[in-house]
Amino acid sequence: MRKVIVGNHAVSLGVKLARCEVISAYPITPQTQVVEMLSEMCATGELDARFIKVESEHSAMAACVGASAAGARAFTATSSHGLVYMHEMLHWAAGGRLPIVMANVNRALGPGWNIWVDQSDSLSQRDTGWIQLYCETNQDVLDTTILAFRLAESVDVPVMVVLDAFYLSHTAEPVIIPEQALVDRFLPQRAARHRLDTAAPRAYGALVRPEDYMEMRWDQQLATTRAQTAFDDITDEWARLTGRAYGATEAYRTRNAELLLVTSGTITSTAREVVDARRAAGERVGLIKVKMFRPFPSVALRALLRGVPRVAVLDRNVSPGHSGIFAEEIRAALYDVACGERPNVFGYVLGLGGRDVTPAVINEVIDRTRAGTVAEREDLWVGVKA
Amino acid sequence: MSEAMPPQAPHISASSTSTRANRTGSWKYIRPRYRDGVAPCNARCPTGTDVEGYMNLLRQGRTADAVDLLLRENPMPAVTGRVCHHPCELVCNRAQLDDAVAVHLVERDLGDRILAAPPPSFARTREETVAVIGSGPAGLACAYHLARLGYPVTVFEAASRAGGMLRQGIPEYRLPRTVLDRQIEWLEGTGIDIRCDTRITIDDSDDLAGFAAVFVATGAHRSRPIGAQGEDGPRIIPGLEFLKAVNRGEPPQIGHRVVVVGGGNTAIDCARTALRLGASPVVVYRRTRNEMPAIAAEVDEAMREGIPFEFLAAPRAFHHIHGRLSGVECERMELGEPDASGRRRPVASAHGTFSILADTVLTAIGEDAGTEALPHGVATDDGRIVVDPLGATRAAGFWAGGDLTGLERTVADALGSGKVAAIGIDRALRAKRGEPVPVHDLAELRWSGGNMSMSRWRGDDPVRRTDPSNERIDFTALNPAHFTRVARQRETFTDALDFSEANRGLTALEALDEARRCFNCGVCNECELCLIMCPDVAITRRPEGTGFDIDLDYCKGCGVCAMECPRGAIVMTREGL
Amino acid sequence: MISDAVPRRELLDSGHLACPGCGAPLAMRLVLKELGEQTIVVLPACCWSIIAGPYPQSSLHVPLYHTAFATGAAVASGVRAALDARGDTETTVMVWAGDGGTFDIGLQALSGAAERNEDFLYVCYDNEAYMNTGIQRSSATPWGAWTTTTPAHEPQSTRKKDILAIMAAHRIPYAATASISHPVDLLMKVRRAKATRGTRFLHILSPCPPGWKYPDERTVDLARLAVHTRIFPLVEVENGVDWRFTADHPGDPIGPYVRAQGRFRHLDEAAIGRIQADVDARWEYLCRQVG
Repeated sequence: MRKVIVGNHAVSLGVKLARCEVISAYPITPQTQVVEMLSEMCATGELDARFIKVESEHSAMAACVGASAAGARAFTATSSHGLVYMHEMLHWAAGGRLPIVMANVNRALGPGWNIWVDQSDSLSQRDTGWIQLYCETNQDVLDTTILAFRLAESVDVPVMVVLDAFYLSHTAEPVIIPEQALVDRFLPQRAARHRLDTAAPRAYGALVRPEDYMEMRWDQQLATTRAQTAFDDITDEWARLTGRAYGATEAYRTRNAELLLVTSGTITSTAREVVDARRAAGERVGLIKVKMFRPFPSVALRALLRGVPRVAVLDRNVSPGHSGIFAEEIRAALYDVACGERPNVFGYVLGLGGRDVTPAVINEVIDRTRAGTVAEREDLWVGVKA
Repeated sequence: MSEAMPPQAPHISASSTSTRANRTGSWKYIRPRYRDGVAPCNARCPTGTDVEGYMNLLRQGRTADAVDLLLRENPMPAVTGRVCHHPCELVCNRAQLDDAVAVHLVERDLGDRILAAPPPSFARTREETVAVIGSGPAGLACAYHLARLGYPVTVFEAASRAGGMLRQGIPEYRLPRTVLDRQIEWLEGTGIDIRCDTRITIDDSDDLAGFAAVFVATGAHRSRPIGAQGEDGPRIIPGLEFLKAVNRGEPPQIGHRVVVVGGGNTAIDCARTALRLGASPVVVYRRTRNEMPAIAAEVDEAMREGIPFEFLAAPRAFHHIHGRLSGVECERMELGEPDASGRRRPVASAHGTFSILADTVLTAIGEDAGTEALPHGVATDDGRIVVDPLGATRAAGFWAGGDLTGLERTVADALGSGKVAAIGIDRALRAKRGEPVPVHDLAELRWSGGNMSMSRWRGDDPVRRTDPSNERIDFTALNPAHFTRVARQRETFTDALDFSEANRGLTALEALDEARRCFNCGVCNECELCLIMCPDVAITRRPEGTGFDIDLDYCKGCGVCAMECPRGAIVMTREGL
Repeated sequence: MISDAVPRRELLDSGHLACPGCGAPLAMRLVLKELGEQTIVVLPACCWSIIAGPYPQSSLHVPLYHTAFATGAAVASGVRAALDARGDTETTVMVWAGDGGTFDIGLQALSGAAERNEDFLYVCYDNEAYMNTGIQRSSATPWGAWTTTTPAHEPQSTRKKDILAIMAAHRIPYAATASISHPVDLLMKVRRAKATRGTRFLHILSPCPPGWKYPDERTVDLARLAVHTRIFPLVEVENGVDWRFTADHPGDPIGPYVRAQGRFRHLDEAAIGRIQADVDARWEYLCRQVG
C-alpha cells in the first residue's frame, strides 16, 4: 500500500508494524507527531502497546530501559535537547545491551532556540554505544525503523533512527507501507536473551570491578562492530522481501570519479541532483551516502574512496574547535590508505541550524574542492556571512 | 545468509551467585552469645520454684510440662497459690511496665489441676529410710522431695491430723480445708507414710531407731508476750491459740470489741477471723502500713472488709475493771532509725497515750519454737535452731527446717527449707555410701543467690538453657519496648463474711492469659525477635525448642540482637574471637 | 509472639556488604518477606547499590535492576509496562531508593510516575543523607545535623522535606511511613501496599551508624525512639485524604534521640528546643490531617 505521509508518521507506522510493546516518550518539536500518532494508535487499540507518558526524556529512556530489561520491545522518539537530556540513559541502554529503538529528529541545540535541522544532537551522542542510522527519504525512515528493531535485537545494541527536522519529519512523500504479515515474518516477537525473570532471579548492573569491566566493554565492542555485517544481512533479506535495498553506505555515480561528495540525511537527495547535473556536464563527480554512522563503516568507505583525488564531506554539524564530525571520522578511516592513493579530504561545515543547503551551495562546495589541491584547513565553513 | 546471531547472551553485569561467598563475619570484633540468666521471681521464690519456666511452658500450651516443672520444686502449689506471700510478685520486672504478673493466681490454678488428678507414685530406689517430725509445710516438703528422690519416708505428727500450721493456724477462708485435705491425701498418695497422733521427743529415742536421717520441723507455737502491764489478765489471748481454737471448731468467747496487736499474718488472720465471728476488731500496730510484714493483699482485704487499723500505736497497759478486761492503753509512736531488719524502729512520740475499749485482746507479735524433738544441747541462736546451708543441725543425723530455724516464718520459706534439707539428706546419705555427689558448689544450686533448685541438684532440668549464667536479670537488662501493656488479671472475691474461701481465684483461661503476661526475664523463649532483627540474616532457628544458631561467618557483631532481645538473654562478648 | 506475624521466607542473603548495624538491609529483608518471590526490584544508586553485592553476586533472591540515580520510578514504570504487555499483572514491581534518589534527584520521575498512578511500590529507605558517597546532606537531612557538606559550625540549616505529604498530595492510593522498630506495623503496610493497585509509597526510616554517629547496636532502638518522640510518626494515607496513625506515639522528649547521635553533638539546648518545636508543629499538622 502506498500512502503520502510525513516522515514523523513514517516512524509511527514503522513502530506499529514492528509491534512494539512499550512506548515511552515526551513531546519535543519537531518529533511530536511521532508520539501523537502512536498515542492515537494505542488509544484506539490499533497498536497493542503500553504508552508511558513520562514527565521528561530522561524518564522516557529510563522507562524504555526498564521495559527492555523486562523483555519487551521498547521505543521512544525525541530530538535535540530531549536527546541530550537523556544522555545518561543512552549509556545505560547501550551498556546494558538493551535493544531499544529510538527515532531522533535532527534539530539544532540552543541557545538561542532553534528548531531546524542540524545533526549536532545525534552526533554528540556518538560515544554512548548506540547504533546510528541516518535516513534520506520517508520510505527510508519507515523501512529503517523496522530494520532497526531487527538489528538491535540481533546484536543486543540499541539503535537510533535519525531523520532531518522538517525536510523529512514534516514533509509528505509517497511511502509504500509493507504488509503486517510480511513484517511479522521479518521481525518476530522479541525473545530476550536476558530479562528480569522471577523464575530465574538475577541482579543486572551490579558494581563491576576493574578485573571484570573491560570484558563487558569488549563484548559490547564486538557486538557493535558485528552490527555492520548483521545490517548487511538484514538489509539483504529486506531487499528480497520488498525490493528496497539499503546499506551502511551507498555509492552514487562514483565510477571514474575525480571528486566524491560524502553526505548523510536529506542533503544526499540535493547532492544527487547536483551530481547528475555535473555528470551531464562531463565532470567526473560522484556521491557517497553514509547511512550508518555507528558502527562506522570504515572498511567500506576506504574501499569506496581509495584513489579518489578529492573528497568533499558535507557536515550539517560541527565539533567546535575541530571540524565537521563526518569529515573527522572519514579522515581517520582513510589514514591507513597508502600515501599515493589517499584522497585529499575537504571537510565542509554547512546548513547549521536549518540553513538551506541548496544545489548552489553544493555547487560551491564542488567548485572550492576542485580549486584547491589540498584543504587549507580542516573546517571549511560554507555560507558564513561577514 | 542470515545475520550472525550472537552465540550467546551478551556479556553484561548479570549476577546470580550468592553474597554468601563473602565471609562478612570477619569484620566483627565482638559477637553475640545466647546466655540464659535467672528471672527475679525465681531468685526470690523461697521454695526455689522455676516460676519463669512454668509460665513459659504454659504460654506454649505445654500444661503438663508446666505442672511437672512446678512439682519438681513445690509439692503444694494449691496451698502456696492461696497462702504464699508471693515475694516473686514484689520483684517481678513486669511491675515496671504495668503490674506484676499474678504468679500466685496462676500457681493456684495449676495447683488445683494437680489436686484434681491422681498423684504421681514415686519409685523407691533408696534403701535408707528417713524420719520427718512435723507435718507442716517444711516437713511435708522434705518428705515429698525425699520420696521423689527414692527414699522411703515416714512423717510423724503430734496432732490428730496432718498439716501443721496450715491446718492449725491459717483460717479456713484463706485455705479451705477441702483443699488442704486433698493436698495431704495427694501427698500420701505419692507414697509418704504420715503417722498422726504421734509425738516424737528425743528422749524416746527408740522412735527414731532405724532411720538413717531425721528432719525436724515442729514449728513455732509459743506466742511471744507483748511485755505490757496487765498482760496476764483475762481475755488476753495469744492470737495463734485463738486461730487454733477456731480451726478446731471451738471458737472462744471474745465479745464484741476485739483489739488485735501486731502487724503480721497472724494478726490479720486474727482480725479477719474475729470479724467473721461477729466481733468488731481493730488492729493495733506500732509501725505503719509500709512496715507491716503481713501479706499486702491480706491487709488490703482486711481493710476492704472494714477492719480499722491503728498504726504507730504500741500497747503499754491492759486495764481490767473488776477482773474484766476494759481497754488497752496505747502509746503513740513515730518511726526512728532503721533497725537490724532494715525497717524503721518505732520510738515513743511526744503525742502521749490513748485508750481503746476492748472485750478481748489477741496478741500476735510472733511465736517461739519448741525444740523437744532435737537432741539436747543442739545449737540455737536467739531461740532458733542453727542449721548449715543444707539444713543440717550440729547434731549428727538431724536436719531441721521451717519455723524452728532462722527463716522468715512463711509457708513458702518452710517449703523451701524442707527441700533444702532433702538435698542435704540425699547428699549426706549418698556420700556415706561413697556415691558421687553431683554438685559441690552450693551457689550453683541456687537461683542467683536465692533458694536451691531440685532440678539443678538432680541435674535433670527439663528446661533447655543456653550457656546458662546464674545472673539475675533485672529490668534494666530487658528491652521493654517489645512488651505492650496488658492489664493484670484480677481475682474475684466473695462478699460473704463467713469462712468460705474469700478469694475465688481465676478461671483457667484467665490464668493462662496471666501466664502469657510473663516476660520470661533472662531466658530465651524463642520469640525469634533476634532472628527477625538481624540485618545480616546470620541467625537461624534450630528445631523447635532448641534455640538458635548464630552464623559467625556472617554475623558482623553489630549487637542489634542483644540490644533488642526483650528478655536480656543475649550478651555481646569477645569470647572466642 | 512476633514470630507468628513475620513470614519465614528469606529473600536476602548473608554476606551482603552493608555496614554492621545498618538499617537498610533489615528494611529490605522485612519488606521482601511480605512481598515474596514474585517481586522485581528496581534500584537507583544508593547504599543498596553496594549492599546488593558486586558482580557476579546478588544478595537478593528476586530479580534486581540497578539503575541510574534519577530513574527509579521511571525504570519501574517501564518494567511494569513490559510485564503488563506480556500479561503478567501479578508480579510486584518495587523501587528501592534512598533518600537522595527520592527526595532529591529522583523526585521528578517519582512525581511523574505517581501522577500517572503507575502500578508499583516505591520504597524510600531514608538514612537522611548521601551515605554511600560519604555522608553529604540531602533534602532529607534534618535541621541541625552535621554532614560532610554541612560542617558542625554551619550545620544543616533547612527543614527535612515532608516527602509523605508530597506523595499524599499526588492522591496516590496508598502512602505510609514505616519503621524497622515496628516490624509488625511495617509488614502490615507492605501487605496492604501489595494488595493495592496503582502507585504505593512507603517511607522507612533507616538509621545509619556511621552517618548518624552512634553505636551499631542502637539502630532499631533509634528507629523506635524516632517514632516515640514523633520525629518519625507512623501513619498511612489512602488516596491522599484518609490519614491514620498506626502506632502509639507517646511523644517522649526528643533529647535522648538527639543526644544519642554524634551528628547532633554540636547542638545546644536552644537548638534542641527548636527541633522539638518543629516536631511538635508537624505533629499538630498530622493530627489535623488525621482529624
